[in-house]
Amino acid sequence: MSAIAPTVARPRITLSNLGAWFGVAPFFIFALMFLIAPTVYLLIGAFQNHDGGFTLDNLARLGQPSIRNSYLLSIEVSFTSALFGALFGLCLALAIVRGGLPGWLRPTLMTFSGVASNFAGVPLAFAFIATLGRMGFITVLLNNLGLDLYAAGFNIFTFTGLTLTYLYFQIPLMILVVTPALDGMKREWNEAASMLGASQAQYWRMVALPVLWPSILGASLLLFANAFGAIATAYALTGPSLNIVPILLYAQIRGDVLHDPNLGYALALGMLLITGLSNFAYIVLRARSERWLK
Amino acid sequence: MNVKMALLGSVAMLALGGAAAPAFADGMDDLVAAAKKEGQLTVIALPHDWCGYGALIDSFKAKYGLTINELNPDGGSGDEVEAIKANKTNKGPQAPDVIDVGLSFGPSAKADGLIQPYKVSTWASIPDSAKDAEGFWTGDYYGVLAMAVNTDIVKKVPADWGDLKSADYKASVAIVGDPRTANQATMAVYAAGLAGGATDPAKAAADGLNFFADINKSGNFVPVRGASATIAQGTTPIVVMWDYNALAARDTLKGNPKVAVVVPKSGVIAGVYVQAISAYAPHPSAAKLWMEHLYSDEGQVGWLKGYCHPIRFNDLVANKKIPADVLAALPPAESYAKAKFPTLAEQAAAKDVVAKQWDAIVGATVAK
Amino acid sequence: MKRSSPGAWLAIILGVTYFLAPLIATFEFSLRLKRGEYSFEAYRLVFESGNFQSSFLYSTTVALATIVIGVALAVPTAYWVQLRLPRLRGLVEFITLLPLVIPAIVLVFGYIRLYDSSSVLPLTGSAFGTNILLTLGYVGLAMPYMYRSVDTGLRAIDVRTLTEAAESQGANWPTILLKVILPNIRSAILSGAFLTFAIVIGEFTFASLLNRPAFGPYLQLIGASRAYEPAALAVMAFAITWACMGLIQLIGRGAPGAQDTR
Repeated sequence: MSAIAPTVARPRITLSNLGAWFGVAPFFIFALMFLIAPTVYLLIGAFQNHDGGFTLDNLARLGQPSIRNSYLLSIEVSFTSALFGALFGLCLALAIVRGGLPGWLRPTLMTFSGVASNFAGVPLAFAFIATLGRMGFITVLLNNLGLDLYAAGFNIFTFTGLTLTYLYFQIPLMILVVTPALDGMKREWNEAASMLGASQAQYWRMVALPVLWPSILGASLLLFANAFGAIATAYALTGPSLNIVPILLYAQIRGDVLHDPNLGYALALGMLLITGLSNFAYIVLRARSERWLK
Repeated sequence: MNVKMALLGSVAMLALGGAAAPAFADGMDDLVAAAKKEGQLTVIALPHDWCGYGALIDSFKAKYGLTINELNPDGGSGDEVEAIKANKTNKGPQAPDVIDVGLSFGPSAKADGLIQPYKVSTWASIPDSAKDAEGFWTGDYYGVLAMAVNTDIVKKVPADWGDLKSADYKASVAIVGDPRTANQATMAVYAAGLAGGATDPAKAAADGLNFFADINKSGNFVPVRGASATIAQGTTPIVVMWDYNALAARDTLKGNPKVAVVVPKSGVIAGVYVQAISAYAPHPSAAKLWMEHLYSDEGQVGWLKGYCHPIRFNDLVANKKIPADVLAALPPAESYAKAKFPTLAEQAAAKDVVAKQWDAIVGATVAK
Repeated sequence: MKRSSPGAWLAIILGVTYFLAPLIATFEFSLRLKRGEYSFEAYRLVFESGNFQSSFLYSTTVALATIVIGVALAVPTAYWVQLRLPRLRGLVEFITLLPLVIPAIVLVFGYIRLYDSSSVLPLTGSAFGTNILLTLGYVGLAMPYMYRSVDTGLRAIDVRTLTEAAESQGANWPTILLKVILPNIRSAILSGAFLTFAIVIGEFTFASLLNRPAFGPYLQLIGASRAYEPAALAVMAFAITWACMGLIQLIGRGAPGAQDTR
């Protein structure tokens, strides 16, 4: 086991920490110029009305049942796709790293995951329509084999279908982000555990998973935020029927019909807040699990 | 009136008349020179397959040698307005010079001070209802909502809205986008209601919503964003879209599959788009030249080749400026005879009802 | 010797089926341009519509620049936060999540307002400046993925011990970062590089509204309102991006000091 690490350093500007502050300065300057500054327009816009005056109206409208439901739906879709994406992604990553597979499989699957992680929007929606739509490739195949998917109640243009489609980029993302953590799992731990009499299951439950947990949580949060902000796929696949927040948002900003960019900004602000809350929840959960690691 | 006055008067008239004609011709030359000096034009949200814009852009480039920056062909009317707002102080090629937006965006952009007036040389031949009196925005083309039908899959081509309710069209009917947010989709709901006979826009919208609720319940409606790809693939063999998009889709598919474009017998709604020049345009002369190009006979016929009815259609027909083959490629003129051109107020009323009640009435309760 | 576990094979087979099915469906559809027969006509049409090479080359160059800048920003930051400034972790992670939920169109209009030709930093005033703006915008877009990958990678190695060991040998900070830390998080950086590359190649909104000749706008131009060509494009873009990632993988493999962390 590695040595008990020294106490957590506090960010005082000591001589030794000065270097650290300089080290992170470029990131913060970049973030300020290219991530935070453009967001300020959004923040200001959320509190403005059409003529530029201050108003809390936009935020108040976020409480409308239709918009509230939209947020709930977005959270549901993002959470479900993050959960299953993390689960399946972890399984695949484990298979790749620890499964004893032929050497060429790992780079192939990793590069494929790279491409698939960004395969989204209209091409993805169309690909799934062409696969599992009523006239889809697999649907027709199964029909010929005697199994009628749609008669059995399946429908790609639903919450389930959208989640299934989202998994196409969620799973690869999980694989890519979690593999480095799996790489860091030392063989010696497994050997030591089995020498002490632990079964594989015990090893996983008591050694491996706790060590991996912070990384898994972090990756899951990324998956959640990734799905939360996704719009193009949903718009193309279930546009008129599933009203997730990004669709509402885009409607207000680019609107053919409803054109209230300030409400759009307020919607985006709401999304930011929810992301912040999820991030906070993740920090709390992670701190708990890391208490014994440090 | 004595002879002296008459003489003076006629000299004045001659002078004015003589000055006016070459003045405009000089004006055009000056405009071309100024535009060439600016060297470029920035347009936004103009897909090449929409109303034959691809050919129009190419012909403009060939004729005047300007570079054209094409921003965001995927954009909607709101995007164009937002782009003007974001680029108010930017003189680079990211600032749109001209916009082509839905009818309701013309007056709102004018009210926000985002556009500048310009009356093209063919101003007089544009119907009054389709232009701003002061020249801030000008109607450019219109189309009516039609049905694009994949005749390889759909054997019995529907002729009217009511037909779409029949059991022949299970899982076949789609619209383009979300009726709460996309103009094409909202107008589809409005048109469906008009087919039922209602004239009041709010009532027609409500009737349209009931229509879609019915076809959704019976399983005829497919909640997918209809496009030429989904028509060809078979998921949405019938899509309600603007006739020019339907005809363009038919052409792109080149018979694979065969597509019939049907203007419904009743409930024919026309949608008008308008051109305007940005008040902050970095290349105002190029913008004005572009507008002249679009509103010239050549430009108007260019739109017609893209299946969009140009705003000066009646004038062109009267002066026999339209080639016969172009006319022949369009759906029969009788289909357009009953087209309803909703006023801004009517559009707003209908949109309001549809946007607010689509969820409740058509009830896409989230199927898990 | 490692034995293949049957569970691993099962997972891989299921995974491959799930991922290949939609690709096969798209490919099959793209072959249907000519009525009644399978042909590569859609692919031929796509190749002939000019600009494929130039726009792909442009996007690839921007992608590589984005990767380099992204790594240069993410690695030191994650390193220092882990080593010395753990209190900043939450803030940094929240910042890196911002581009995921802020709509791209809001970001790009923000950039135009901030850095337009009349501002203090007139990036949009020239093609070169706009290229820089686009690249830095992409660094931001890819930051969630790059940072998360790098952070995970750093967590998997014992940063503290490595640093102390290197320091005791007399290494200074740049040496530690470049020669000790970087080679040990190679797989994490590769993951981040893949994710960044994919994002930049396909990105549309930034490139289009900043008026840059990138691959995303080209894809949109060809694919809009066509039926078969977009399917062909999707397959081609997928294949070519995959090939590029293979190249990045090879280069990453051959980097000096690089060794499998397994």
